[in-house]
Amino acid sequence: MGEGGCCPSMELFRSEPMQLVQLIIPIESAHLSISYLGELGLVQFKDLNAEKSPFQRTYATQIKRCGEMARKLRFFKEQMTKAGLTPSTRPLTRVDIDLDNLETKLGELETELIEINANSDKLQRTYSELLEYKLVLRKAGEFFYSAQSSATAQKREIDARQMGEVSIDSPLLLEQEMSIDPSKQVKLGYVSGLVPRENSMAFERILFRATRGNVFLRQAVIEEPVMDPMSGEKVEKNVFVVFYSGERAKAKILKICEAFGANRYPFTEDVGKQGQMLTEVSGKISELKTTIDVGLMHRDNLLKAISYQFEQWSLLARKEKSIYHTLNMLSFDVTKKCLVAEGWSPVFAINQIQDALKRATFDSNSQVGSIFQVLHTKESPPTYFRTNKFTSAFQEIVDAYGVAKYLEANPGVYTIITFPFLFAVMFGDWGHGICLLLATLFFIIREKKLSTQKLGDITEMTFGGRYVIMMMALFSIYTGLIYNEFFSVPFELFGRSAYACRDPSCSDSTTVGLIKVRGTYPFGVDPAWYGTRSELPFLNSLKMKMSILIGVAQMNLGIVLSYFNAKFYGSNLNIWYQFVPQIIFLNSLFGYLSLLIIVKWCTGSQADLYHVMIYMFLSPTDDLGENQLFAGQKTLQMVLLLLALVAVPWMLLPKPFLLKKQHQERHQGQSYALLQSTDDSFEVEAHHDSHGHEEFEFSEVFVHQLIHTIEFVLGAVSNTASYLRLWALSLAHSELSSVFYEKVLLLAWGFNNIIILVVGIIVFICATVGVLLVMETLSAFLHALRLHWVEFQNKFYEGDGYKFNPFSFALLSDEDD
Amino acid sequence: MGFLIISLIFTMAGVIASLAARICCNKGPSANLFHLTLVITATICCWMMWAIVYLAQLKPLIVPILSEGE
Repeated sequence: MGEGGCCPSMELFRSEPMQLVQLIIPIESAHLSISYLGELGLVQFKDLNAEKSPFQRTYATQIKRCGEMARKLRFFKEQMTKAGLTPSTRPLTRVDIDLDNLETKLGELETELIEINANSDKLQRTYSELLEYKLVLRKAGEFFYSAQSSATAQKREIDARQMGEVSIDSPLLLEQEMSIDPSKQVKLGYVSGLVPRENSMAFERILFRATRGNVFLRQAVIEEPVMDPMSGEKVEKNVFVVFYSGERAKAKILKICEAFGANRYPFTEDVGKQGQMLTEVSGKISELKTTIDVGLMHRDNLLKAISYQFEQWSLLARKEKSIYHTLNMLSFDVTKKCLVAEGWSPVFAINQIQDALKRATFDSNSQVGSIFQVLHTKESPPTYFRTNKFTSAFQEIVDAYGVAKYLEANPGVYTIITFPFLFAVMFGDWGHGICLLLATLFFIIREKKLSTQKLGDITEMTFGGRYVIMMMALFSIYTGLIYNEFFSVPFELFGRSAYACRDPSCSDSTTVGLIKVRGTYPFGVDPAWYGTRSELPFLNSLKMKMSILIGVAQMNLGIVLSYFNAKFYGSNLNIWYQFVPQIIFLNSLFGYLSLLIIVKWCTGSQADLYHVMIYMFLSPTDDLGENQLFAGQKTLQMVLLLLALVAVPWMLLPKPFLLKKQHQERHQGQSYALLQSTDDSFEVEAHHDSHGHEEFEFSEVFVHQLIHTIEFVLGAVSNTASYLRLWALSLAHSELSSVFYEKVLLLAWGFNNIIILVVGIIVFICATVGVLLVMETLSAFLHALRLHWVEFQNKFYEGDGYKFNPFSFALLSDEDD
Repeated sequence: MGFLIISLIFTMAGVIASLAARICCNKGPSANLFHLTLVITATICCWMMWAIVYLAQLKPLIVPILSEGE
């Protein structure tokens, strides 16, 4: 647009000029040089050691060390999250830490932390065991006490009976009892402990079976869950006491206890000793608790000290790792005293790079300076656009389809305006536009704070696109004012409506309608249309024609951009045998349709444009009759038809033959030029990429041109029709909006009940936000995107370049790799 | 007549916007050309939309027919 070879080049229109540079760096300043270049972030290094495996490279050990440090840092992070601390994001004073110091420090901290953890685990286990022992002492004591008391009670009874009754049979028994030899009395042993409640039934059953019923088991339930020393979790347990006789039974019982994970604790019958053991255990428990607490506090302090420096350390570790990865890409020169680096960098960055190298030489006290030289090559450089926070989002939209070829025209420049504009054509409602604007202003005002935080996926995407959404909202307010819709309600803001009743009684306003009494409503759609019966026929006709006009304009812009590309690359062939026939074909058909639309509007004729266009092809020589819009239309149509028909072979045939002729000319006169031209071509006189290898397959070129021609010719019709989605989505939006307004809000208002009104308002707000502000926004965004990617860009965009990916600390990813 | 006057207003708005862009962010010739391109594109898009809607209502073929009942 008003820019050619005469004017200065426009920023962002073409890629920054790039050059291949070679740096020769002495080894002692290598690390510092790469570090400073990483801070600068303007060099993309080429991997000169591509054939070597990762283990054969020079700095493999350093990378391993960095990996170890990263692992230790990850371990610290785990411990910190377990203890509930987060690494503080306070920006600290820059303390320059050496890599070796950091390594030793991390190692020390790790061993200390592991030790503390092991100790506290052991202490915790002992603590749980002691707690369990205490429970056993208490409950088992109860058993014995109750058993003792019932035994004495029974003995007293028996004695009482003995005193009272003397009968014939009793003395015999008594005598027998009393004559038992005490030494032959079997000694009962017992085992006491804790068993998990879920296993207690099975435990009992197996004990019973194993000892053939010769044991006595008492269990008591413990109300609260107990911390199991082995697993460290709370488990419900029962206290048990097993009485047995004999050594074999004892062995079996012990084995069964082990199998069921029942912990055993010793117990004495002596009541006095029981009390003593209870107090002892209680004392030990309280001591242990204080020890454990002190231990935990020590660990927390250690973790807190780590958390202050954590961010800095992890950043340093990542930086060092990336520096060594880059150093691995450099190759040694013949003397083995220097490293050679090759990379792409923008031309404007020469001074900055040389500066960084000089500083590195100075800071590393090296005797020899680094050498910087520019190499000439036929390789295709990466594409680099210097974007700021506003333009970067739009450039990403374009790059998502394909990165621009080096020095090709960048559609991103126009996308900044046309993308929000096409969105707004489909979204047009200034009430919704204001809501979107408020939402995005919230993001923009807090952008400094939000850019440092970690946001969720969807919020991240919305935040990244905040300027896009802002443009979309501003244009939506404009188109909303033009369509005259504020939540589907029209307003008379720009003067009086042009329509009024035919006669003062308005008797036929519902049959024949109003008439136009004043000049046209000056800005936008007349508010008289809304709510009428003929609203949809009028608006549909308006919006469809508008879509066609906008579509033809954007496609013409695309073809004009292809002219600028052809001129820049100096390809006359592309100008005369591609640009010119394309412009002629598109405009003689659809440009003419646009002209007819405008003439019909200006003259108010009743001509049927479908009829005109179709019969232009079917019977061009027929008389137009009532479809005549201007004088000489028939002749004009025939001329345009002929031009269109001529344009098709003009696009198809000459170019392959001329390319073949050019190829032959180049090879006949210049045999020495062959060496140069066997590389991949970055030729300023760019022929089609189909012969980058200097083999010219005529059939291939011809088929390529045939496909291109068919695509353009058929695409002219289909792409123009595709723009009708502007009409379709705008209709959907306005209909949804008016349904929500009339059927929810007005309905709720009509009941004259405050509760129903409040409910109605809530439903209206939810429906508006959910359907119109979220779903319709996404939908219109997507369709506007498609119109750009396909209908606009396929007229001129090749998009087969690769993006400039410099070595930069600012671009280091957050994840550990 | 109304069409020409309002088109003139759009042109004036475009000129004022480009002057404002030049005054507030003057960052070298290539950046200036870029801003100018953006302003011109925006002005043309906005004008085109207004002009289409205006011309469509100039000599309408159908008129509003009110729906029955209020």
